[in-house]
Parts: sequence; C-alpha cells; structure tokens
Amino acid sequence: MTDYANPDVLVSTEWVAENLQNSGSLRLVESNEDVLLYNTGHVPGSVHIDWINDLNDELVRDYVGHTRFAALCAEKGIRNDTTVVFYGDKSNWWACYAFWVFKLYGHQDCRIMNGGRTKWLAEGRPVSMQEPEYPSATYAAQPQDASIRAFRDEVLAHMKSDGPLVDVRSPAEYDGTLLHMPAYPQEGALRGGHIPGARNVPWSRAAREDATFKGLADLESIYKEEQGLDTSDDIIAYCRIGERSSHTWFVLTYLLGFENVRNYDGSWTEWGNLVGVPIEK
Amino acid sequence: MADELQSVDDATRLELLLDYANQLPSLPERYWALRDAGIGLVHECQAPVFLLVEVTGGVVRLRVDVPMEAPTARSFVTLMCKSFDGERADVVLNAPDDVLHQFRLARLLGMQRARGLSAIYQRIKRDVRRQL
Repeated sequence: MTDYANPDVLVSTEWVAENLQNSGSLRLVESNEDVLLYNTGHVPGSVHIDWINDLNDELVRDYVGHTRFAALCAEKGIRNDTTVVFYGDKSNWWACYAFWVFKLYGHQDCRIMNGGRTKWLAEGRPVSMQEPEYPSATYAAQPQDASIRAFRDEVLAHMKSDGPLVDVRSPAEYDGTLLHMPAYPQEGALRGGHIPGARNVPWSRAAREDATFKGLADLESIYKEEQGLDTSDDIIAYCRIGERSSHTWFVLTYLLGFENVRNYDGSWTEWGNLVGVPIEK
Repeated sequence: MADELQSVDDATRLELLLDYANQLPSLPERYWALRDAGIGLVHECQAPVFLLVEVTGGVVRLRVDVPMEAPTARSFVTLMCKSFDGERADVVLNAPDDVLHQFRLARLLGMQRARGLSAIYQRIKRDVRRQL
C-alpha cells in the first residue's frame, strides 16, 4: 500500500483495529448498498451514512446541499478536522461514493479502509450491534467542488472534444446488451449502450477478490499502459448511478495520482434517457 | 403487518425490518441443490434471492433463501412469507399491487432498492398464476 501516489488515504484493517479507541479525532463511517446491513453488526464505534437517506436529496436529483451535509456531519460528531475512514460492502463502492461526496463538500482528511466490510469480517475482527452516540460537532461545509463532478452538458462537450471517458460498467452494459448490472434491478434507462468514444474498463479490474485494491503495478498496467491514460489527462468516469465510478475515481485520483478526474454521477440512468444525445453500441 | 409498518416512524420501521430479517424461514434441505444450481433466482434483485413458488390444491407455499449479507431482501422476503405462505392462491393473486407502498417501504428504501423488492412480489404472483 505504501507505493501508491497518496498512500495515507488508504488504511488497513489492522490500522483501524489499532485506532478504534481514537474517537476524538477519528470517525469510522460505514456506507453500504443495503440499508439494514450496518444494523446487523458493524465495526465498533462506526457510524452509518446511507447513500440514499443521508446523502441524496429527496426532491432534487442531487446531493443534500452543503448546509444539510454540515448538519449530517455535526450529528455524527464529525468536525472539519476529523479523520474520516470509510468502509462498506460491495468492495467499498459505497464507501468510495461517500468519500467522494465528502470531498465534494470539502472535507480534508478522508480515507478508505482497504478491503472494507468483507475483509474485516473475514479476518474475524469484532463487530458491534450498538449504534454509538457522539457529542454533536460544529461543522462548516464548503459549497460543492465542481472540479470532481461532471454534469451532463460538460460530459457532452467532453465527448465532442474527444476527451477520455471511462465507462466502468460490465461489458454487457457497455455494449447495450443489458441496461443494468447482471442480477441487478433495471433502473429505467431507455437506451442501452455507452457514451460515444468511452472506453470500457470495468471497476472490478481494480479490485482483488478480497475486496482490496490491486497494487500499484497492476493498476498502472491497466490504466496507463493498456488504456494509454496519462496522469495529466482530463478524465470523466461514469457507470449507472455513480457508485462504481466513485471506486474508479478513487483509484485514479488517489492511488495513481491522476490530477483531473471527474465522476459523472448522472451516469447511464441520465445519459441513457436524455433526449437528443447520441449513444454508441 | 401493513398496519404496523404504516403506523411507526422510519427508525422503528427499520427496527421492525431487522426483526423480520432474522425471522426468515430456513430452506428445507431438499431445495439446497436447486438453490446452489441458481434455479429460482430472482434476477431483478441485487442480492441472490432464491424463491420457489409451489401451488398444491390451491394453496401457495414459498421456499426461500437470502444470504445474511442482504438483510433488506431478507426482511422483505420474510414479509412475503408471513403474508402468503400457506395462503390460498386466489388470495395471493388478489393482494394489492402496491404492496411496497402499503408497507411504507418505497420511500424508506429509495427507488433503486424498491425495484428489486417489487420484482420479488411480482414473481410470486406470476408463478402462482402459471400454476393454476
């Protein structure tokens, strides 16, 4: 883990186990696909942040806004200078997604527990059913950092200028055979395929079986050598609703040191429904 | 159950769902081979939900299995079993189509999660209809 571009942003399960008592300056955040999973047992002391109920606005297809984000952090006992360590199910998709939203609102010290929930449990480490309560904190969130988020008009302009687009979905979703992940619910896109010019690099290529990230040499061989991407390239990553592409955004930005990667969270559920934009099969 | 789920706040509703997740009936051993072969999987669902619907003499039996890592699907499948297992086929077919709303789950779980659960429900009805 030490040779990544930003090695400090990734912490091991051992490190978390050693720092469990440090709730003064550290907050563990579990983010899962399944809303009930945290309540079945979680890393002791961790708080739960749900990608739907906590991070997404009910009335606008957008994140909750920096005022509500600040209130969420305050409620979870997270200050602006708290080290926040994210982990979760599904190879840390939702942990990376929550990490990305925290970065969107300017949180400084965010980290990912490598291997997530899967590795923690596989190692037989302790779990707790008890939801911790921390004193409410004071938090000041920044307005959204547009440099890590791509909106549809920017994606369209990027496509027209032949900017690199990374489609991280499965090959069948990319070529339009499927409108959703194999075995996942159909989420209502009217066209199947990909954004013209996008290359297909499934997110899973960056992960190992045990849900940890692959090592630097493997990641460089995929994104730099095979795909020919350069750390200075202006890159947009997308998937279906922005969760799997958060994983790739994290890999490119923090593990490989790419400087200009944006996550298109509208992703295929927006692009595949837009009137008048082209797709490719 | 719908009355109970409708009458409580979101936090209590989550607790009730967790209780249901722990009450999922176990799958009789004679069905394990089918489950392990991927037969009866609800493909629309993000978790590997095994669901076999049997209708004998007009009575519906549900054979189900959902892994521990998917407590939301487990809780919903438990609700389905409590509602429909051992029930008459016509009762199942005449049950309301908007069950997720009746259980107040659609808003709590969000659209993406609700779709997979809705598929489980529609699958039960479809399989009952096919066996009549």
